[in-house]
Amino acid sequence: MKRNLVQKIASVVAAGTLMMGALSGCGASNASVDSNESNATVESTDSSVTAESAGYRTLDEIKESGTINIGVFSDKSPFGYVDENGEYQGYDVYFAERIGKDLGVDINYVSTEAASRIEYLQTGKVDIILANFTVTEERAEEVDFALPYMNVALGVVSHDDNVVTSLDNFPEDEEIIVISGTTAETYLEKNYPNIKLQKYDAYAEAKTAFENRNAIAWANDNTEVIAFAIENEGYEVGIPSLGSADTIAPAVTKGNSSLLDWLNDEIKSIGAENFFHADYEATLLDTYGADYEDTLVVEGGEVK
Amino acid sequence: MNRDVIVEYVPLYVEALGRTVHIGLVGILGAILLGLGSSLILYFQVKGFRRLTRAYIELFRNTPLLVQLFFLYFGLPKLGLRITADFCGMLGLALIGGSYMAETFRSGLEAVDRIQFESAKSLGMSPWQTFFYVILPQAVSTSVPGFVANMIFLLKETSVFSAISVMDLMFTAKDLIGMEYKTMEALTLLVVFYLIMLLPVSVLGSLVERRVRYGSYGD
Amino acid sequence: MDLMGIELLFKGQNFLRILGGLWVSVRISLISVAISIGLGLLVGALMTLRRPVVRAITRVYLEIVRIMPQMVLLFIVYFGTTRAFGIHMEAELAAIIVFVFWGTAEMGDLVRSALISIPKHQYESAKALGLSRAQTYRYIILPQTLRRLLPLSINLITRMIKTTSLVMMVGIVEVLKVTQQIIEANRRTSPNAAFGMFAVVFVIYFLVCWPISMLSKKLEKRWSE
Repeated sequence: MKRNLVQKIASVVAAGTLMMGALSGCGASNASVDSNESNATVESTDSSVTAESAGYRTLDEIKESGTINIGVFSDKSPFGYVDENGEYQGYDVYFAERIGKDLGVDINYVSTEAASRIEYLQTGKVDIILANFTVTEERAEEVDFALPYMNVALGVVSHDDNVVTSLDNFPEDEEIIVISGTTAETYLEKNYPNIKLQKYDAYAEAKTAFENRNAIAWANDNTEVIAFAIENEGYEVGIPSLGSADTIAPAVTKGNSSLLDWLNDEIKSIGAENFFHADYEATLLDTYGADYEDTLVVEGGEVK
Repeated sequence: MNRDVIVEYVPLYVEALGRTVHIGLVGILGAILLGLGSSLILYFQVKGFRRLTRAYIELFRNTPLLVQLFFLYFGLPKLGLRITADFCGMLGLALIGGSYMAETFRSGLEAVDRIQFESAKSLGMSPWQTFFYVILPQAVSTSVPGFVANMIFLLKETSVFSAISVMDLMFTAKDLIGMEYKTMEALTLLVVFYLIMLLPVSVLGSLVERRVRYGSYGD
Repeated sequence: MDLMGIELLFKGQNFLRILGGLWVSVRISLISVAISIGLGLLVGALMTLRRPVVRAITRVYLEIVRIMPQMVLLFIVYFGTTRAFGIHMEAELAAIIVFVFWGTAEMGDLVRSALISIPKHQYESAKALGLSRAQTYRYIILPQTLRRLLPLSINLITRMIKTTSLVMMVGIVEVLKVTQQIIEANRRTSPNAAFGMFAVVFVIYFLVCWPISMLSKKLEKRWSE
């Protein structure tokens, strides 16, 4: 408690200093940015190591504190959302609950947006991200992924009176909705640089804008767009699978090996009891029906 | 901080700056017109419109722009009124700005003693002549500090446009952080570009203010 | 009948959740205003000093606050400082830091102008009456200054409450975010909820801010006479 307060005060002071430093003096700012730059390039490797070792909590520290911070979506039904009683629900949350139980700690859910997921881990705001986080090479350079628990690819959903079935020849004056910081955004920027994207921070915003016809299509994880087309009337998934087949996995701060190892063991051991099938049946069955169970679920960390 | 990254990002920020300034200026122009209209309605106590104008001013002065934008952009289409994000930004800025400008102009007008109408009348001026040649010039010069403050406030408020998918400066920074994780570079450029946008306005504003004050006090 | 989502207010704990979100906003504003008033008195008093260094620093500080959007400051504190120093900071703390940074500048400037607006002869008269420096401040200067400051600090509260709508951008679950969650959870059954629920938020903000700004106006009028 006491340490907490000291930390808080220290961070207030530090923040103030930084703000003054970063912003002060319009004339002087060029010079200070330059010197920061040269310093940073020299020490970038060591400083990132020290920053990170302070940035995460080891397995023992989490257990000792009695609470684990898990970053989940709060507006991405049926994977991570908040029900009318204020409780977190969904496929990711079901798994999070199990993690809390097996670690013997309370869970503090932190609501995250897609674009903040890496940031939250790197700055130690959460211990684990369980927010439908697709494993990619670029992301793996920034955070450590545990074993996967779901399959995913990209998909594109449209209004059923104007279905987009191919991204080649996409009309020039139309836009596709994506969520900032998702694999869909990166993929489209890279492979279809000419298609105009309309970007939102939050799932709730993107979906409402799509419903309102602010764009003719919405590109996202195919799990998500399929669920959307099933749950809501008047939509069709014209492109059910785009890009490479990927997986979704929990992520921890880079270097947090004690927590990573524990998570991998956990995923393997609960695989023996078919945990993720049970998770699917509890949270996704209503949306997808039984047909998608084997294509979506990855059990025991083994992708077939 | 990586120099190559900065070089790579600058064009993106320049583009975003252009968009931010464009939307900001159109919005502010709308705000000035709306504010002027509203303040005139209140000053001349135009029947039927007075209450409506008062309600508009209070409503928009006492709610955040972000909430107004969410309502306009996500809510209104449910009634069949759909607008693009850029236009919604302009509209939102004009509406909130209009309510602030109205108060500024109104207090400027009120500051001019109404007795001047009578004095002007005795000089043989019509009410319209009096308003345009006597009242308005004085009102404008007292309104300048408030007007400058409103300009800066409104240009700052553009930073919330990012929430409705306008690719402004703020959104560019957020997007780059989310996609490429270069937080320090993205944030530094964000600060630099806001300085580029707002420092001239602020400095110019202070100069104009001093000029006006000089004018109103004489030598 | 299509209630455009207003019916969701009465479903489950939704209404309480919205009020809970509102409390988060109000709490951040109140804490920030309280700290800002304290620091503002200090900074304002500092600003009346005629030291060039102090003047230069406070000038730069005021200018930063004047032209940097609160949202940018919020991102700098929340993402930038943690990145630069590797400290973990709660989003709410980051928000309070930014609000205090902003509020202190405004209060400081107000305190400064309130202090210098008190005519010199009052200090002299007090001296002539044999009051000490501390007594002069305690009984003559401060009461007048506070009286001038109160309406303005109340006004600052409403502006802070309005600005708290931004904190959802750094992951604080306040009114707007709770509303989004409700819209999301009921997308299937109430597809038009975005209209009704955002209208509700609009009204809530108005109902909170309007009386406070009326009060501030009233006090300003009464005490300026």
